[in-house]
Amino acid sequence: MNGNAWEAIWAGRELLWNGLLATLALSAVTIITSTVVGFLVGFARYSRIPVLDVVLRVYLELFRGTPLLIQLMFVYFGAAYLRLDWVSVFIASAIAITLYQGAYISEVFRAGFASVPPGQREAARTLGLSRFHTNKDVVFPQTTLVVLPPLFGQYLTLIKNTVLASVIGFSDIVRQGQAIIERGANSFVVYLVIAALFFAFNYPLSLLAGALERRIIRKRGVVA
Amino acid sequence: MNFLNYIELFISGAWVTLWTSTVAFALGLVLGVLVALARRSRLLILRTIGSIYVEVLWNTPVLVQIFIFYFGLASIGIRLPAIVAGIIALGVNAGAYLAEIIRAGLGSVPRSQLEAARTLGLAPAQTFFNVVLPQAIRTVFPPIVNRFIDLILASSLLSAIAVNELTGAARRVNAATYETLAVFAFAMLFYLVLTNLVSLAASVFARYAFKPAIAAPVWFRFRLRGSRLVDQTGLSAGAKSPRAQSKGDSR
Amino acid sequence: MIVQVTDVRKRFGDNEVLKGVSVEVEKGEVIAVIGASGSGKSTLLRTINGLETIDSGQIVVNGVPVHDPKSAHLVHQHVGMVFQQFNLFPHLTALENATLALRKVKKLSKADATERAMSALTSVGLAEKAGSYPQQLSGGQQQRVAIARALALQPQVMLFDEATSALDPELVGEVTKVMRELAAAGMTMLVVTHEMGFARETADRVLFFDGGVIGEQGSAEQVFTSPSNPRLQQFLRRVLEH
Repeated sequence: MNGNAWEAIWAGRELLWNGLLATLALSAVTIITSTVVGFLVGFARYSRIPVLDVVLRVYLELFRGTPLLIQLMFVYFGAAYLRLDWVSVFIASAIAITLYQGAYISEVFRAGFASVPPGQREAARTLGLSRFHTNKDVVFPQTTLVVLPPLFGQYLTLIKNTVLASVIGFSDIVRQGQAIIERGANSFVVYLVIAALFFAFNYPLSLLAGALERRIIRKRGVVA
Repeated sequence: MNFLNYIELFISGAWVTLWTSTVAFALGLVLGVLVALARRSRLLILRTIGSIYVEVLWNTPVLVQIFIFYFGLASIGIRLPAIVAGIIALGVNAGAYLAEIIRAGLGSVPRSQLEAARTLGLAPAQTFFNVVLPQAIRTVFPPIVNRFIDLILASSLLSAIAVNELTGAARRVNAATYETLAVFAFAMLFYLVLTNLVSLAASVFARYAFKPAIAAPVWFRFRLRGSRLVDQTGLSAGAKSPRAQSKGDSR
Repeated sequence: MIVQVTDVRKRFGDNEVLKGVSVEVEKGEVIAVIGASGSGKSTLLRTINGLETIDSGQIVVNGVPVHDPKSAHLVHQHVGMVFQQFNLFPHLTALENATLALRKVKKLSKADATERAMSALTSVGLAEKAGSYPQQLSGGQQQRVAIARALALQPQVMLFDEATSALDPELVGEVTKVMRELAAAGMTMLVVTHEMGFARETADRVLFFDGGVIGEQGSAEQVFTSPSNPRLQQFLRRVLEH
């Protein structure tokens, strides 16, 4: 059984490779977009703009309180329903994952901004700095360091979450794995290999994030 | 709105979601306690096994774990019904997160409490059950409830192995009525209601079960924010370290 | 001699905190231990009831060799401790804090334990707060509950590790009052303290700790009015300045 399993995988290696690239592409794109969304939403919430705050709280409740899978289906099948042909599986997945992970990332940023002691802003004001400059030169730089470890963690989660796109038909590594299983490969081995690939990527990075967090705690005493 | 004719499907799906999540979570709690104790053990072999368990489950996607338990085991001769495979997969996965939460909770009781117990002559076991455990339980309660909520959302993945829970029900209704936006929006609403009910139930339970509801660092005051239990300080044992946070998973 | 400390040495890492300390305490004596932070006062207290192990030397309390790890745990039957941070169990009421050890260690029935605990709480003036939780009490009340909790076990020796240092000034009095009553009733007490007034009025003997050794010791009168050790003189000048 084993011999066959590895042979079939080897035979389908091109498919797997394409799947891996697709996963990487989706991950890379959504890391960028969700960070942008998360930053903007997090900052907006931190700034406590009245009407926007309510809207954003609804956004957060919606995207953190419902499964990502349903969100993917809503966007993809919903786009088909609305006859938006340009929404491919990739685009639908990217939109859903961006909004989903963006919601969590926004909380990371918001906590990061809030972790800058209010005395900092007060000092900036007494020095005459405008709100814009206060944010740009005082709040943001201090936030960056503190926000990195949890942000890192969110990215690792995001990478794992991209596999959900396979359920709606995106040809990521899991989907391609299922393809070679259909051609006779042993599913236990295939899924194990896929899991191992994720592990090999995520585990070292998670250790890095942990080390980073410890360094920051040592330097500043607290993390967002 | 045709799809409302299929409300029964939604309800039975939601019921499956609830009971499978509960059973899986119970499994997760048992595993979580065992692994937490293993990781705090003096024996290196136990600590190592515990660490491997946690790291492997944290760093691989839940969906793949589910597929391994269902398709993978089937292909090597162990054919589990989809629901069973799904429950086991979700439970094993939850166990990894719960292990860390419990471990952090046990460690959150200040050493000074242990010293005080010692000076009163309490034996280690007595100290554990009368001083450490009560305080640790209060600390871990919010993150554990949050983890249950996460699991309910993660159970949506069981639809990928043809379990008829809520998401699966939504797909079936969509296939029957093609009122896509309404159907999935309704499903989302259903999940929101489910998770918020769990939050509420947990808050009420905490108010009555934990007197006076304090653990050394954390006051329990739950507010329904984003359908997660958040206590006033924003701190929760086990959920604060970015590694634990980052090991969030598709829900 | 109820407490005998002989030539005790203790180091934390590279730092030798106790450099050969010897003390003998008679039954009923009240000893105040004063000195700068880090001079080793608290560490000495903590070695006496085994919370810290020692590197060399001997400690015998009421016949129990504390320096012997096998019998060290028995010392808690004879010695009670009151901490700077109170260390009350937050999930238990004042009464429950006091009855816990009575029930689990002394194996008393609930009724007997409650009786003894209530009598201890009454002696510190907090009988009516028996059903309150620690965070419902003021600092001074919490510390008095902590004292009652230790007293309920009827120890022969009581150790006070900076018992009032974490209290707001106006609350210090209610705790020192309890300590004075305890001393008057004949309890053997070792009190690490910054409250010079208390040390002066209540202690039979005062130990001045300086850099891991006892710089000077004598009656309260002696130590406070005619100190011979120059560092003690310096210490007293600084402390009594405010």
